[in-house]
Amino acid sequence: MHPLKKNRPLRRIVLASAVTASGLVMLLALKPHTTPEVAAAPQVVSSPAPSGSASGKAVAGTKTVTGETVQTRWGPVQVKITVTNGKITDVTAVQSPSDNPRDQEINSYALPQLKSEALAAQSAKIDTVSGATYTSDGYRQSLQSALDSAGL
Amino acid sequence: MTTTLAGGRAARRQTMRRIRPRRSPATLLLLAVWAGAVGVLWLWWHNTPSIADQNGKILNAGRITGLLAGYLMALVVLQMARVPALERRVGSDRVARWHAMSGRYTLCLVFAHVFLIMWGYALQAGKTLSDIVQQTIDSVNQLPDMGKAAIGTGLFLLIGLSSIGAVRRRIPYDTWYHVHLLTYGAVFLTFWHQITTGNDFALTPLAKTVWYGLYGTVTALVVWYRILTPIRLNLRHRMYVEAVIEETPGIVSVLIGGRKLHRMGAEAGQFFRWRFLAPGMRFSSHPYSLSAAPRPNMLRITVKAIGDHSTRLRELRPGMKVWAEGPYGAMTSQRRTRGKVLLVAGGVGITPMRALFETLPGAAGDITLLYRANTTQDLALWDELAKIADERGARLMYAVNSPDGERPDISADSLRRKLPDIDNHDVFMCGPPGFAQSVYEALRGAGVPARRIHHESFEM
Repeated sequence: MHPLKKNRPLRRIVLASAVTASGLVMLLALKPHTTPEVAAAPQVVSSPAPSGSASGKAVAGTKTVTGETVQTRWGPVQVKITVTNGKITDVTAVQSPSDNPRDQEINSYALPQLKSEALAAQSAKIDTVSGATYTSDGYRQSLQSALDSAGL
Repeated sequence: MTTTLAGGRAARRQTMRRIRPRRSPATLLLLAVWAGAVGVLWLWWHNTPSIADQNGKILNAGRITGLLAGYLMALVVLQMARVPALERRVGSDRVARWHAMSGRYTLCLVFAHVFLIMWGYALQAGKTLSDIVQQTIDSVNQLPDMGKAAIGTGLFLLIGLSSIGAVRRRIPYDTWYHVHLLTYGAVFLTFWHQITTGNDFALTPLAKTVWYGLYGTVTALVVWYRILTPIRLNLRHRMYVEAVIEETPGIVSVLIGGRKLHRMGAEAGQFFRWRFLAPGMRFSSHPYSLSAAPRPNMLRITVKAIGDHSTRLRELRPGMKVWAEGPYGAMTSQRRTRGKVLLVAGGVGITPMRALFETLPGAAGDITLLYRANTTQDLALWDELAKIADERGARLMYAVNSPDGERPDISADSLRRKLPDIDNHDVFMCGPPGFAQSVYEALRGAGVPARRIHHESFEM
């Protein structure tokens, strides 16, 4: 634009705001609105760990199923369950927020607690660990998706 | 003195090479910027498989605005790094305008980001918008590097407020300038939280590398072109005031001496940012155009005493040291596309035009200069211009107010009458904004295409 063309700042401001706002709304609207079912997962995030697709290995009545990667405010959470004869026998956190010392500190007490609750409840209906709201939330959601794809 | 200045045949002896206009890289640069923005948005897209609910929408809107703000902020700083490719090929004035526009937009994104993210966090924790202040305090205390980011954002707020037109007009230029320099600090402080707290950087290590690369490059360019290059330039050329001449009441020429000044590569039409190491002038730097072709041992600037700084120039004494940065500016003969050129100067805009008038290659009758001033007394450097016109066979015209104050008629019709083939001219213009605007319209009305009107103005 030639610097001497009539310079209308108000028009520029309105245009820029409108384009930005509508761009944002469009981007947000284009994303699916529910945590995708595991079947739809393959198009998802490539994280360092195996991403949210259900990987099942059946070894004589035992299988391991990895749940969906759930984004939490502090980072991704992903759990892997081991199912033997229809019962959850082990839960491991494959991914958990660990970027900084605070996250690691929270994990050190939250993850064991969540695991024992999950084993006790044999479902994803577990209580939030106090001080680890987001990790608990993510853990629950990932656990539920693992259970869903394991057929429990 | 006049003989050495008004001649300049040596300067004009540059080969009249085939006139090949250099295209400004502006379009290419804008495309690259947009491509980068798309890449940044893709980063968010790639890391977000789904958005759970309304709360998630707000949080993600906060993330998107944050990513864009982080990206654009690096570019905002880059524009002011005085990179020669930008200053000389796009044009200092144009880059400064881009910087002002993109700076304002980026700050708006920053504030939108802060608001949306804090709201999003509050919602995630089951609270509401009214808890946003408490949420902000909590986040600043708990999250990594957020203390720094909070201070940086406070600085941005200060900088943004000081740059609002109404505020800026009321504070002295130097105050505004020094507040503005705090931008470097603000960018430094807010950079770290992007890497350590940004969700998308946690998920995609490559993004961290790219971000370090982007900011690292901008830092390197700033250090190189704003700090090291001027130091080298001034150590090598050691400029000083050679003489101060009063051309007309209120208009002063300063002759600058030094070593091997021609090696700076300055061209007619360009300017330097000058800092005179004299009491009271040491801490401010002002752009003034060269008013004559650069010579191996002398540069000249001609300045009208309008503000604080320009009035003080009269107090300069020979021998006082000068610190200069440049050359900057894209209004040079390289922008020319045609054999015929019209130079239009309004008031003190005569300075770069005087230099171009002396050096633009052209045969007799090719170059015309139109000089607009209030009265004939204000036609500074007139004798030199007349001499050059005489020697080159160039046309020299002036337009002043009539004795009863009536303004001269510079309209499409009068221009066409004076120069029947004006639509086949390149036009170089320099003058106050109102003048430039009306002349631009007159030229367009007379049939000169916009791409052949070359103009430099520092109004923002």
